[in-house]
Amino acid sequence: MSERLVVIGGGGSGTAAATIAKRCNPDLHVTLFSEFPDIAYSPCGIPYAHGREIPEFKSLFLSTVQRYVEDGLDMRMETTVTDIDLDRRTVTARNKHEGFDKLILCTGFLWEQPAVPGANLEGLHYVKDIRRAMEFDKELDHMKRAVVIGGMWLGVEMSGALARRGLDVQFIDEGPWLLSELVDPDVAEPAQEALEKLGVNVRMGTKLLGFTGGADGRVRAVSTSAGELECDVAVICLHKLPNTSLATSIGLELGTLGAVVVDDHMRTSAPGVWAAGDLIEVPHGLSMLPITGLTGSHAYAQGRVAGANAAGEDRTYDPVWIPWGFMSGDYTIGGFSIGETLAEAMGIPYVVAKGVGVSRARYFPGAARTHVKLLAEPGTLRLIGGQLHGGEGIKERCDFLAFVAKRGATLDDLAWMENIYSPPIGALYEPIQIAAQNGLAEHARAREQVPA
Amino acid sequence: MTAAELKRRLRQRSEYALRLAALKDVGQRYPGRTARSALPPVGPFWRFLFVPLFRRVPWSFRRQAMRRLNMTARGWPEDARHFGEPWRPPARSD
Repeated sequence: MSERLVVIGGGGSGTAAATIAKRCNPDLHVTLFSEFPDIAYSPCGIPYAHGREIPEFKSLFLSTVQRYVEDGLDMRMETTVTDIDLDRRTVTARNKHEGFDKLILCTGFLWEQPAVPGANLEGLHYVKDIRRAMEFDKELDHMKRAVVIGGMWLGVEMSGALARRGLDVQFIDEGPWLLSELVDPDVAEPAQEALEKLGVNVRMGTKLLGFTGGADGRVRAVSTSAGELECDVAVICLHKLPNTSLATSIGLELGTLGAVVVDDHMRTSAPGVWAAGDLIEVPHGLSMLPITGLTGSHAYAQGRVAGANAAGEDRTYDPVWIPWGFMSGDYTIGGFSIGETLAEAMGIPYVVAKGVGVSRARYFPGAARTHVKLLAEPGTLRLIGGQLHGGEGIKERCDFLAFVAKRGATLDDLAWMENIYSPPIGALYEPIQIAAQNGLAEHARAREQVPA
Repeated sequence: MTAAELKRRLRQRSEYALRLAALKDVGQRYPGRTARSALPPVGPFWRFLFVPLFRRVPWSFRRQAMRRLNMTARGWPEDARHFGEPWRPPARSD
């Protein structure tokens, strides 16, 4: 009898884990349990479908359950696993027990809910399940006013999308500047301006006090420190919290963020049990402090590692340097590792190298200013973080910088890096080089000023 | 409260206190670009004792201390490149 692998969760990490496990070991019997009816869709695309930048929701479905079945997976859709017995090696779903030899948990995340009065009213929307999003999209046709709550990037994306859809959008957050948990003020400023250009009313430093409902039990206003904001819907975009209820029930070790502790093979504290995606914590490459709530691409890669290892391979996952990026209105911001604010909070010493260049030859139509800010370790000038903003090419630069930072690149390396010069796609003088050169010049000046 | 819960709470509170202090300091470098924060303040212990003390201790020492307290990840290879150390190629097994 072939070995049985059970994967719980049908998001990016679960789907990747099941697929790769089967690919690595075709003799493995792989069963995937998901509480949802759909598989392999892009939840990250939901805001853009609401904003009509993606014309149809069906474009977000990348594959079908049937295709996975044809690939040899035992797909149990709309089937919630309610219990796991590690001693007997069984999972319980729909009151039936299923045996397993190996288990991968990919139970994802739950949205943080605001602890204020009225948080249980109808009309409070959380972006997650695509079926719910499709229903919500139809409701949007009859809505005029939305309040978006929370300063994480989904809130920014949803604000832009709803404004494009023609709604009157109020964005509120307690922080002193947009995305202050992640972004520095100089990067937040153009991002906020881009949202405002779309018509979003951005209210920073605004506290959520509660939700007020109408006679129908549906939210009609959001009470804030800036007054009452009338609305047809409130979109809540607070933090992602690891969904560890099953993991806790079987006694898996949780870490300092309340997420499942794994090693570099995605192994949990229980033998024969792996975990991947939003329910685990992984170390930041710079500090080795565990972090959680990363991107879909991280979840996908972790799922691949867990799946391969459960199938008998020996793959490792590196500590993360977290390239990130997204659109705020029509503007792109991004970064990797840490920015000034986080470096300051962690007390990590740094020097800053800043520069502004262009994304392609300045005479070529479509050239956009590209702002680069790099953080380097004093002395060695080793790259430890950065934030960028502008138009095209921000994403690729952030990916590149995260990779070279992981490999120990310094400002010297970047100042003399090679780059592509081709007028339609790249400028003669790469913006990263400009920032690094400026940083070196600043560093040299500072050294000259030190008395002997 | 278990040791794990204590560590979780310690991390949560200390991070929040340090974040508030950093938001204030970094915000001052960019005058006119920030609003008045509505984030709930922290108590005097965190504000007047913990944050200044944390900032006085060198990063390398702090990092060691976090490691000793098992606040950093375990079961992961010690980072290939220590902070402050130039890059070196991965060890070859052959």
